[in-house]
Amino acid sequence: MAHGHHITPFRTLLQTFIALIALTVVTVAASQIHLGPLNVPIAIGIAVVKASIVAAFFMALKYDNRVNFLVLAIGLVMVVVFISFTLFDTAFRGDIENVDHRTIDQIERTEEALKAREGQGPGGG
Amino acid sequence: MGSSTVTAVHGEAHPAHLQHHFVSSDQQFDAAKMGMWLFLVTEILLFAGMFVAYTVYRVWHPEVFVAGATLLDPLLGGFNTVVLLASSFTVALSIHYIQQGNRTGLLINIFLTMAAAVTFLVVKYFEYTHKFHLGIFPGEHYAYSEVSMPYVAQFFSIYFVMTGIHGVHVLIGVGLFIWLAVRAIKGHFTAEWYTPVELVGLYWHIVDIIWIFLFPLLYLI
Repeated sequence: MAHGHHITPFRTLLQTFIALIALTVVTVAASQIHLGPLNVPIAIGIAVVKASIVAAFFMALKYDNRVNFLVLAIGLVMVVVFISFTLFDTAFRGDIENVDHRTIDQIERTEEALKAREGQGPGGG
Repeated sequence: MGSSTVTAVHGEAHPAHLQHHFVSSDQQFDAAKMGMWLFLVTEILLFAGMFVAYTVYRVWHPEVFVAGATLLDPLLGGFNTVVLLASSFTVALSIHYIQQGNRTGLLINIFLTMAAAVTFLVVKYFEYTHKFHLGIFPGEHYAYSEVSMPYVAQFFSIYFVMTGIHGVHVLIGVGLFIWLAVRAIKGHFTAEWYTPVELVGLYWHIVDIIWIFLFPLLYLI
Protein backbone atom coordinates (compact mmCIF):
# COMPACT_ATOMS: atom_id res chain seq x y z
CA MET A 1 0.00 0.00 0.00
CA ALA A 2 1.44 3.33 -1.02
CA HIS A 3 0.74 5.16 2.21
CA GLY A 4 2.57 8.42 2.76
CA HIS A 5 1.27 8.99 6.30
CA HIS A 6 3.68 10.73 8.57
CA ILE A 7 4.43 8.67 11.68
CA THR A 8 5.37 11.01 14.50
CA PRO A 9 8.29 9.43 16.41
CA PHE A 10 7.73 8.33 20.02
CA ARG A 11 10.50 10.71 21.11
CA THR A 12 8.72 13.74 19.59
CA LEU A 13 5.41 12.77 21.23
CA LEU A 14 7.10 12.34 24.62
CA GLN A 15 8.89 15.69 24.30
CA THR A 16 5.56 17.32 23.40
CA PHE A 17 3.96 15.84 26.52
CA ILE A 18 6.85 16.99 28.74
CA ALA A 19 6.72 20.50 27.25
CA LEU A 20 2.96 20.69 27.96
CA ILE A 21 3.43 19.59 31.58
CA ALA A 22 6.25 22.13 32.01
CA LEU A 23 4.02 24.92 30.64
CA THR A 24 1.22 23.86 33.00
CA VAL A 25 3.65 24.33 35.91
CA VAL A 26 4.64 27.73 34.47
CA THR A 27 1.01 28.87 34.17
CA VAL A 28 0.25 27.85 37.78
CA ALA A 29 3.44 29.57 39.01
CA ALA A 30 2.69 32.74 37.00
CA SER A 31 -0.80 32.96 38.50
CA GLN A 32 0.69 32.96 42.03
CA ILE A 33 2.59 36.18 41.29
CA HIS A 34 0.15 39.05 41.57
CA LEU A 35 0.63 41.36 38.63
CA GLY A 36 -2.88 42.78 38.63
CA PRO A 37 -4.52 42.84 35.20
CA LEU A 38 -1.29 41.52 33.60
CA ASN A 39 -2.06 38.02 34.95
CA VAL A 40 -4.83 37.59 32.37
CA PRO A 41 -2.80 38.12 29.15
CA ILE A 42 0.05 35.99 30.59
CA ALA A 43 -2.33 33.09 31.32
CA ILE A 44 -3.98 33.38 27.89
CA GLY A 45 -0.55 33.63 26.21
CA ILE A 46 0.69 30.42 27.84
CA ALA A 47 -2.60 28.67 26.97
CA VAL A 48 -2.22 29.74 23.32
CA VAL A 49 1.34 28.33 23.24
CA LYS A 50 0.12 25.05 24.80
CA ALA A 51 -2.79 24.78 22.34
CA SER A 52 -0.41 25.46 19.42
CA ILE A 53 1.92 22.68 20.61
CA VAL A 54 -1.01 20.24 20.83
CA ALA A 55 -2.22 21.23 17.35
CA ALA A 56 1.25 21.12 15.75
CA PHE A 57 2.54 17.82 17.18
CA PHE A 58 -0.30 15.76 18.72
CA MET A 59 -2.75 16.72 15.95
CA ALA A 60 0.19 16.59 13.50
CA LEU A 61 -0.75 19.82 11.71
CA LYS A 62 2.97 20.47 11.27
CA TYR A 63 3.30 17.43 9.02
CA ASP A 64 -0.23 17.45 7.61
CA ASN A 65 -1.90 18.56 4.41
CA ARG A 66 -1.91 22.38 4.57
CA VAL A 67 -5.64 22.55 3.84
CA ASN A 68 -6.44 21.32 7.38
CA PHE A 69 -4.45 24.19 8.84
CA LEU A 70 -6.38 26.56 6.57
CA VAL A 71 -9.70 25.20 7.89
CA LEU A 72 -8.52 25.78 11.46
CA ALA A 73 -7.12 29.24 10.68
CA ILE A 74 -10.41 30.41 9.12
CA GLY A 75 -12.25 29.11 12.18
CA LEU A 76 -9.88 30.96 14.52
CA VAL A 77 -10.31 34.22 12.56
CA MET A 78 -14.05 33.86 13.17
CA VAL A 79 -13.42 33.35 16.90
CA VAL A 80 -11.39 36.59 16.99
CA VAL A 81 -14.17 38.44 15.10
CA PHE A 82 -16.77 36.95 17.47
CA ILE A 83 -14.98 38.12 20.62
CA SER A 84 -13.63 41.48 19.40
CA PHE A 85 -16.82 42.69 17.68
CA THR A 86 -18.87 41.79 20.78
CA LEU A 87 -16.41 43.79 22.89
CA PHE A 88 -16.75 46.80 20.54
CA ASP A 89 -20.31 46.93 21.88
CA THR A 90 -20.16 45.72 25.48
CA ALA A 91 -16.84 47.27 26.53
CA PHE A 92 -17.89 50.77 25.46
CA ARG A 93 -21.49 50.91 26.63
CA GLY A 94 -22.29 54.17 28.41
CA ASP A 95 -19.48 56.11 26.75
CA ILE A 96 -21.75 57.74 24.19
CA GLU A 97 -25.12 57.72 25.89
CA ASN A 98 -25.57 61.52 25.89
CA VAL A 99 -27.54 61.71 22.71
CA ASP A 100 -28.41 65.36 22.18
CA HIS A 101 -29.93 67.41 19.37
CA ARG A 102 -27.23 70.08 19.89
CA THR A 103 -23.87 70.01 18.12
CA ILE A 104 -20.72 69.08 20.08
CA ASP A 105 -19.59 72.73 19.88
CA GLN A 106 -22.84 73.88 21.45
CA ILE A 107 -22.59 71.27 24.22
CA GLU A 108 -19.01 72.27 24.96
CA ARG A 109 -19.96 75.95 25.12
CA THR A 110 -22.80 75.19 27.53
CA GLU A 111 -20.44 73.08 29.70
CA GLU A 112 -17.86 75.87 29.75
CA ALA A 113 -20.51 78.39 30.72
CA LEU A 114 -21.69 76.11 33.55
CA LYS A 115 -18.11 75.61 34.78
CA ALA A 116 -17.45 79.36 34.70
CA ARG A 117 -20.61 79.98 36.76
CA GLU A 118 -19.66 77.28 39.29
CA GLY A 119 -16.18 78.81 39.58
CA GLN A 120 -17.73 82.16 40.59
CA GLY A 121 -20.10 80.64 43.15
CA PRO A 122 -19.18 79.80 46.79
CA GLY A 123 -17.10 76.59 47.10
CA GLY A 124 -17.43 75.88 43.38
CA GLY A 125 -15.55 73.21 41.42
CA MET B 1 -12.69 12.72 -15.29
CA GLY B 2 -12.87 10.76 -18.55
CA SER B 3 -14.44 7.32 -18.80
CA SER B 4 -11.06 5.80 -19.61
CA THR B 5 -9.70 6.83 -16.19
CA VAL B 6 -12.69 5.29 -14.43
CA THR B 7 -12.14 2.06 -16.30
CA ALA B 8 -8.47 2.15 -15.36
CA VAL B 9 -9.36 2.58 -11.65
CA HIS B 10 -11.88 -0.23 -11.79
CA GLY B 11 -9.38 -2.46 -13.46
CA GLU B 12 -7.05 -2.25 -10.45
CA ALA B 13 -7.39 -4.41 -7.37
CA HIS B 14 -8.34 -2.10 -4.53
CA PRO B 15 -8.46 -2.59 -0.74
CA ALA B 16 -11.78 -3.52 0.91
CA HIS B 17 -11.96 -0.29 2.95
CA LEU B 18 -11.73 1.92 -0.15
CA GLN B 19 -15.15 3.30 -1.04
CA HIS B 20 -16.31 3.44 -4.61
CA HIS B 21 -16.27 7.22 -4.99
CA PHE B 22 -12.64 7.72 -3.94
CA VAL B 23 -9.65 7.42 -6.23
CA SER B 24 -7.25 6.15 -3.59
CA SER B 25 -6.93 5.29 0.10
CA ASP B 26 -4.94 8.47 0.62
CA GLN B 27 -7.67 10.60 -0.94
CA GLN B 28 -10.31 8.88 1.19
CA PHE B 29 -8.22 9.41 4.34
CA ASP B 30 -7.57 13.09 3.53
CA ALA B 31 -11.25 13.72 2.83
CA ALA B 32 -12.29 12.11 6.14
CA LYS B 33 -9.68 14.10 8.01
CA MET B 34 -10.65 17.42 6.46
CA GLY B 35 -14.30 16.66 7.25
CA MET B 36 -13.25 16.10 10.87
CA TRP B 37 -11.39 19.42 10.95
CA LEU B 38 -14.52 21.20 9.66
CA PHE B 39 -16.51 19.59 12.48
CA LEU B 40 -13.82 20.58 15.00
CA VAL B 41 -14.12 24.21 13.84
CA THR B 42 -17.86 24.09 14.67
CA GLU B 43 -16.87 22.71 18.09
CA ILE B 44 -14.41 25.57 18.58
CA LEU B 45 -17.13 28.06 17.62
CA LEU B 46 -19.58 26.41 20.04
CA PHE B 47 -17.12 27.02 22.88
CA ALA B 48 -16.23 30.46 21.46
CA GLY B 49 -19.80 31.57 22.27
CA MET B 50 -19.18 30.69 25.90
CA PHE B 51 -15.75 32.34 25.86
CA VAL B 52 -17.48 35.50 24.58
CA ALA B 53 -19.84 35.38 27.59
CA TYR B 54 -16.79 34.89 29.82
CA THR B 55 -14.96 37.85 28.21
CA VAL B 56 -17.93 40.22 28.37
CA TYR B 57 -18.62 39.49 32.05
CA ARG B 58 -14.93 39.60 32.91
CA VAL B 59 -14.54 43.04 31.29
CA TRP B 60 -17.63 44.29 33.18
CA HIS B 61 -16.89 42.71 36.56
CA PRO B 62 -13.22 41.63 36.80
CA GLU B 63 -13.27 41.49 40.62
CA VAL B 64 -16.02 38.84 40.54
CA PHE B 65 -13.82 36.50 38.50
CA VAL B 66 -10.89 36.93 40.88
CA ALA B 67 -13.19 36.16 43.83
CA GLY B 68 -14.86 33.27 42.00
CA ALA B 69 -11.51 31.65 41.21
CA THR B 70 -10.69 31.49 44.94
CA LEU B 71 -13.71 29.19 45.39
CA LEU B 72 -12.32 26.70 42.86
CA ASP B 73 -9.60 24.22 43.83
CA PRO B 74 -6.55 24.76 41.57
CA LEU B 75 -5.09 21.47 42.84
CA LEU B 76 -8.03 19.46 41.45
CA GLY B 77 -8.13 21.59 38.29
CA GLY B 78 -4.37 21.19 37.84
CA PHE B 79 -4.58 17.44 38.43
CA ASN B 80 -7.28 17.19 35.76
CA THR B 81 -5.11 19.25 33.40
CA VAL B 82 -2.26 16.76 33.79
CA VAL B 83 -4.71 13.86 33.34
CA LEU B 84 -6.03 15.32 30.07
CA LEU B 85 -2.53 16.13 28.76
CA ALA B 86 -1.48 12.55 29.53
CA SER B 87 -4.56 11.26 27.68
CA SER B 88 -3.67 13.42 24.67
CA PHE B 89 -0.23 11.80 24.76
CA THR B 90 -1.67 8.25 24.93
CA VAL B 91 -4.19 8.88 22.14
CA ALA B 92 -1.33 10.21 19.96
CA LEU B 93 0.60 7.04 20.88
CA SER B 94 -2.35 4.82 19.89
CA ILE B 95 -2.19 6.35 16.38
CA HIS B 96 1.63 6.07 16.40
CA TYR B 97 1.37 2.31 17.10
CA ILE B 98 -1.41 1.41 14.66
CA GLN B 99 0.47 3.27 11.91
CA GLN B 100 3.18 0.66 12.45
CA GLY B 101 0.61 -2.15 12.58
CA ASN B 102 1.06 -2.66 16.34
CA ARG B 103 -2.47 -3.61 17.48
CA THR B 104 -1.45 -4.32 21.09
CA GLY B 105 0.09 -0.84 21.37
CA LEU B 106 -3.10 0.61 19.92
CA LEU B 107 -5.37 -1.22 22.34
CA ILE B 108 -3.27 -0.49 25.45
CA ASN B 109 -3.23 3.22 24.64
CA ILE B 110 -6.96 3.34 23.92
CA PHE B 111 -7.56 1.83 27.38
CA LEU B 112 -5.12 4.26 29.03
CA THR B 113 -6.88 7.20 27.35
CA MET B 114 -10.27 5.90 28.44
CA ALA B 115 -9.02 5.50 32.02
CA ALA B 116 -7.77 9.10 31.98
CA ALA B 117 -11.11 10.34 30.64
CA VAL B 118 -12.98 8.50 33.41
CA THR B 119 -10.53 9.84 36.03
CA PHE B 120 -11.24 13.37 34.78
CA LEU B 121 -14.99 12.85 35.13
CA VAL B 122 -14.67 11.36 38.64
CA VAL B 123 -12.65 14.39 39.82
CA LYS B 124 -15.20 16.70 38.19
CA TYR B 125 -18.00 14.81 39.98
CA PHE B 126 -16.36 15.44 43.36
CA GLU B 127 -15.79 19.10 42.51
CA TYR B 128 -19.43 19.58 41.53
CA THR B 129 -20.91 17.75 44.54
CA HIS B 130 -18.66 19.71 46.91
CA LYS B 131 -19.94 22.97 45.41
CA PHE B 132 -23.57 21.86 45.55
CA HIS B 133 -23.00 20.93 49.20
CA LEU B 134 -21.85 24.51 49.89
CA GLY B 135 -24.85 25.93 48.03
CA ILE B 136 -22.82 27.07 45.03
CA PHE B 137 -25.35 26.71 42.25
CA PRO B 138 -25.50 28.63 38.96
CA GLY B 139 -27.60 31.76 38.49
CA GLU B 140 -30.41 32.61 40.89
CA HIS B 141 -29.98 29.36 42.83
CA TYR B 142 -26.61 30.53 44.17
CA ALA B 143 -26.79 30.30 47.98
CA TYR B 144 -23.26 30.47 49.38
CA SER B 145 -23.27 33.16 52.06
CA GLU B 146 -19.45 33.33 52.55
CA VAL B 147 -18.98 34.97 49.15
CA SER B 148 -22.07 36.90 48.14
CA MET B 149 -20.83 39.85 46.09
CA PRO B 150 -23.01 41.01 43.19
CA TYR B 151 -22.60 39.02 39.97
CA VAL B 152 -20.72 36.11 41.62
CA ALA B 153 -23.70 33.93 40.64
CA GLN B 154 -23.02 34.83 36.99
CA PHE B 155 -19.44 33.64 37.39
CA PHE B 156 -20.75 30.25 38.51
CA SER B 157 -23.31 30.17 35.68
CA ILE B 158 -20.37 30.55 33.29
CA TYR B 159 -18.28 28.03 35.26
CA PHE B 160 -20.98 25.34 35.31
CA VAL B 161 -22.04 25.80 31.69
CA MET B 162 -18.47 25.81 30.32
CA THR B 163 -17.14 22.92 32.42
CA GLY B 164 -20.48 21.10 32.05
CA ILE B 165 -20.49 21.18 28.25
CA HIS B 166 -16.78 20.32 28.28
CA GLY B 167 -17.61 17.41 30.60
CA VAL B 168 -20.28 16.19 28.18
CA HIS B 169 -17.58 16.16 25.49
CA VAL B 170 -15.34 14.07 27.76
CA LEU B 171 -18.26 11.68 28.36
CA ILE B 172 -18.83 11.38 24.59
CA GLY B 173 -15.08 10.73 24.32
CA VAL B 174 -15.38 7.79 26.73
CA GLY B 175 -18.13 6.36 24.51
CA LEU B 176 -15.95 6.82 21.42
CA PHE B 177 -13.00 5.07 23.10
CA ILE B 178 -15.22 2.11 24.05
CA TRP B 179 -16.31 1.93 20.40
CA LEU B 180 -12.67 2.11 19.24
CA ALA B 181 -11.61 -0.56 21.75
CA VAL B 182 -14.34 -2.96 20.54
CA ARG B 183 -13.33 -2.44 16.91
CA ALA B 184 -9.63 -2.74 17.78
CA ILE B 185 -10.29 -6.07 19.58
CA LYS B 186 -12.21 -7.28 16.52
CA GLY B 187 -9.11 -6.43 14.49
CA HIS B 188 -10.75 -3.81 12.29
CA PHE B 189 -7.74 -1.48 12.32
CA THR B 190 -4.52 -1.99 10.39
CA ALA B 191 -1.55 0.15 9.36
CA GLU B 192 -3.38 0.64 6.05
CA TRP B 193 -6.73 1.67 7.53
CA TYR B 194 -7.15 3.30 10.94
CA THR B 195 -9.25 6.38 10.04
CA PRO B 196 -11.63 6.19 13.08
CA VAL B 197 -8.64 6.16 15.46
CA GLU B 198 -7.18 9.23 13.75
CA LEU B 199 -10.49 11.15 13.81
CA VAL B 200 -11.37 10.32 17.44
CA GLY B 201 -7.78 11.33 18.29
CA LEU B 202 -8.33 14.75 16.70
CA TYR B 203 -11.62 15.15 18.60
CA TRP B 204 -9.91 14.24 21.86
CA HIS B 205 -7.11 16.78 21.32
CA ILE B 206 -9.71 19.55 20.81
CA VAL B 207 -11.36 18.53 24.11
CA ASP B 208 -7.90 18.81 25.70
CA ILE B 209 -7.25 22.23 24.11
CA ILE B 210 -10.58 23.59 25.43
CA TRP B 211 -9.54 22.52 28.93
CA ILE B 212 -6.09 24.11 28.44
CA PHE B 213 -7.99 27.42 28.22
CA LEU B 214 -10.65 26.68 30.85
CA PHE B 215 -8.19 25.73 33.60
CA PRO B 216 -6.26 29.03 33.90
CA LEU B 217 -9.25 31.24 33.01
CA LEU B 218 -11.54 29.73 35.66
CA TYR B 219 -9.26 28.33 38.37
CA LEU B 220 -6.14 30.50 38.37
CA ILE B 221 -6.85 34.12 37.52
